Amino acid sequence: MADNIVKTKRVFIPGCSLPSYNPILVEKTLEYLQEKLPGTGAILKCCGKPTKALGQEKKFKERYGTLQAEIDRLGAEEIIVACQSCFLTMTEDSPKQKVISLWELLPQIGLPKKSRGIGKKSDIVFAIHDSCPTRHRTTIHEGIRWIIHELGYKFEEPPHTRENTRCCGFGGMVVPANPELALRVMKRRTAEVSSDYMVAYCAACRESMVKGGKRAVHILDLIFGGPWTSDTEFPGVPSSPVTSWINRYKSKLAIRKVLE
Amino acid sequence: MLSQDIKKHMQDIVEGCMGDAPPYCEATCPMHTDVKKYVNFIGEGKYEDAIAVIREKLFLPATLGRICAHPCEEKCKREEVFQQPMAIAALKRFVADHYDDEAKWDLTVEPHKGKKVAVIGAGPAGAQAALDLRKKGYQVTIFEKLKVVGGMMRVGIPEYRLPRHIIDFEYGLLHKLGVEFKLGIEVGKDISFDEIRKTHDAVIIAVGAHKGIVIPVEGHQLDGVFHAVDFLREVSLTGKFPLGKKIAVIGGGNVAMDVARSARRLGVEEVHLFCLESKDKMPAHSWEVEEAEDEGVIIHAGFGPERMIGQGGKVTGFEVKECISVFDQDGKFHPQYNENNKQMFAVENVIFAVGQAVDSSFVNKEQIEIQRGGRFAVDPITLQTNLENVFVAGDASGRSAIVIEAMAEGRKAAISVDRYLQGQDMKKGREFEGCYKTWLETQVKDEVLNIPRIKTNQMDPYQRIKNFAEVDLGFTEGQALQEAARCLQCECKHCMKECEMLNDFCAYPKELFQRILKEGSVDPIIPFSCNMCSQCTLACPKNFKIHEHFMEIRKEMVKKNNGKSPIKGHKAIEIHQMLGFSKLFNTVRPAVNRKGRS
Repeated sequence: MADNIVKTKRVFIPGCSLPSYNPILVEKTLEYLQEKLPGTGAILKCCGKPTKALGQEKKFKERYGTLQAEIDRLGAEEIIVACQSCFLTMTEDSPKQKVISLWELLPQIGLPKKSRGIGKKSDIVFAIHDSCPTRHRTTIHEGIRWIIHELGYKFEEPPHTRENTRCCGFGGMVVPANPELALRVMKRRTAEVSSDYMVAYCAACRESMVKGGKRAVHILDLIFGGPWTSDTEFPGVPSSPVTSWINRYKSKLAIRKVLE
Repeated sequence: MLSQDIKKHMQDIVEGCMGDAPPYCEATCPMHTDVKKYVNFIGEGKYEDAIAVIREKLFLPATLGRICAHPCEEKCKREEVFQQPMAIAALKRFVADHYDDEAKWDLTVEPHKGKKVAVIGAGPAGAQAALDLRKKGYQVTIFEKLKVVGGMMRVGIPEYRLPRHIIDFEYGLLHKLGVEFKLGIEVGKDISFDEIRKTHDAVIIAVGAHKGIVIPVEGHQLDGVFHAVDFLREVSLTGKFPLGKKIAVIGGGNVAMDVARSARRLGVEEVHLFCLESKDKMPAHSWEVEEAEDEGVIIHAGFGPERMIGQGGKVTGFEVKECISVFDQDGKFHPQYNENNKQMFAVENVIFAVGQAVDSSFVNKEQIEIQRGGRFAVDPITLQTNLENVFVAGDASGRSAIVIEAMAEGRKAAISVDRYLQGQDMKKGREFEGCYKTWLETQVKDEVLNIPRIKTNQMDPYQRIKNFAEVDLGFTEGQALQEAARCLQCECKHCMKECEMLNDFCAYPKELFQRILKEGSVDPIIPFSCNMCSQCTLACPKNFKIHEHFMEIRKEMVKKNNGKSPIKGHKAIEIHQMLGFSKLFNTVRPAVNRKGRS
């Protein structure tokens, strides 16, 4: 194994919600990054945003410190994130590393050959749900639209979109605190788009859109799966937290498999 | 308890949030009628609700719907942007005319306070003061010189603008509440002012300004020369006045228009109206001038009186001269004339409509301080005179010029009398009585269309000069609905339209943070219900970062709770985080050589 190791220039951190949602997407993404950008390592660990959001300042500093130590140990200069909360947390708390969103990176390295134009014949119009933590990061919005356009799917902009996007209802750890309110926020968000189909680029947002009554995919579902049509079976919400933790564990195995 | 730092930070929102800022119309209305609310009700077809909202503040809705000079409309955002203000008064009239049910009037009165208040004058100022004091439980008596109620609304404003049965109907509320009326009793003649003072705990003087002013030009003492107030009073009370076929009216204000238009109705064939100002600068409302012209009044703008000539002691001619400017460089009234441009008009009467004075002869001048024009001197905050139990409201102090202002002064005097009789602080917290400037700042969005103001229906000018029947026919229901729909419903509360959560806990952020500051603590569910999405900040004209305040509170709550969230449901997050950082679900892999893998 020692012979295999090259310098880790950058590290892919898929976050929590994506690995809990779909380990296959984690695996395929990492494989593709490996292929296009040799020198990419990976870390599966939480960024601690939930701790921070609860207001547990001290605990967050401790926890983020352990993540930062791992990044530094790998010697990565760049962090690739697939979660908008990670993007914010790491931009703020890892000043030594350059943080880039996968959605900004993909337009630079291009999409996998077989996914280009895959949605051209689809009968679906996807309403785009932008994540609110990165509402001011316009390059992410541009990247997402570039990706969907490149895939060939038709899309719809909600009345509140990009910088003016509305929260999916999941933000601020409100779901466990005030579930009834969170559900109302989710439904209000889904009610403002006319399409029955939505695409998000955060797994938690995607789940919220499903709870709000839409059929919703993660953008990586569109890149590494499909073509998606009205006949396709859409992913639902996890039946129990156990499912999510099993997926998380599978994601760990997948990362180890790709980077063994 | 929250820390001082957090509370200090919250103060920014308490001071700057415009959530409680009244709309421009409401702040401008001297009586602060909730225009936005009732216009919205009209727009929804909820007319009974609309009249109920109006009646919370105004006991004369149908009267004001006709004759209010509506300063609110001047401050309407649609006026500012499109010069097409909401027809607020006309909307008020619509619901008052059709949906004001006497049976629904609020007749509640506080328990009897055992104190007596006298009000001199049954005009809008006196009636409002009497009403407010009666509702507070005082025994109130109104002394009125005339045999009818309404003051200048009754004997100043012509009947074709305000039918008299409306005044009587609306004053019915005072009767129902038990306000005692002593009509046809002139203070100073039938009863002395001192007698009234002796038999009452407090007195409000609201006698109005019913004394005509005459410019002492040559010939002003000739027969056939009158004052507007005397003329209008006589016409109002008897429907008659001896005038010739050609007359002159002097003055450019609304009263002059009332005189000229009334004269036309009495059969005067030629009414020549002279005013110093150029036509676009006449003090009268533009629509009043228009309506007068429609009725055949001939307006000579830019002329002042030179002299009157007569034969056998009776006026036969009126000479005017061209006025070049009305005010001097300092803005003081100082008319300049062109002595080379004089014109003589053969007229049988001249009526002065150049202002009114107060008849204050019923009080002893050594008792109460009197100012120019007979006006009573008062403290501007309390309306109290130098006699501590005597207050003045309305035109009698010279502080009001229109009915709604007189009512506000009446209300102010009533507040003062109540505080005086209760031995309370007379001056505390009185900043928002009468017209004030709102702290609201709104922009009319680009997508707002310039929909023109709906005009009320008017009787044909040829028909209307035949009698004193009402000229303005008001709105139809369709017109009222259309007009109400134009209201921009000015308010801030942009965040409240964006945020689901804030609506669960407050009417606007200022209210919430004020409450938190007052109580010194907050239910954890509030800060922990914020999605931290910043949508409120995006909408806020002041860019308040409300989520940061919630975050600060969260941090403090966690600190005080041994590092744990006070929310039960957050146990799950704690477990999630523990697992998220556990070795079982973590892995760290350096980059590998792809070739090496294969």
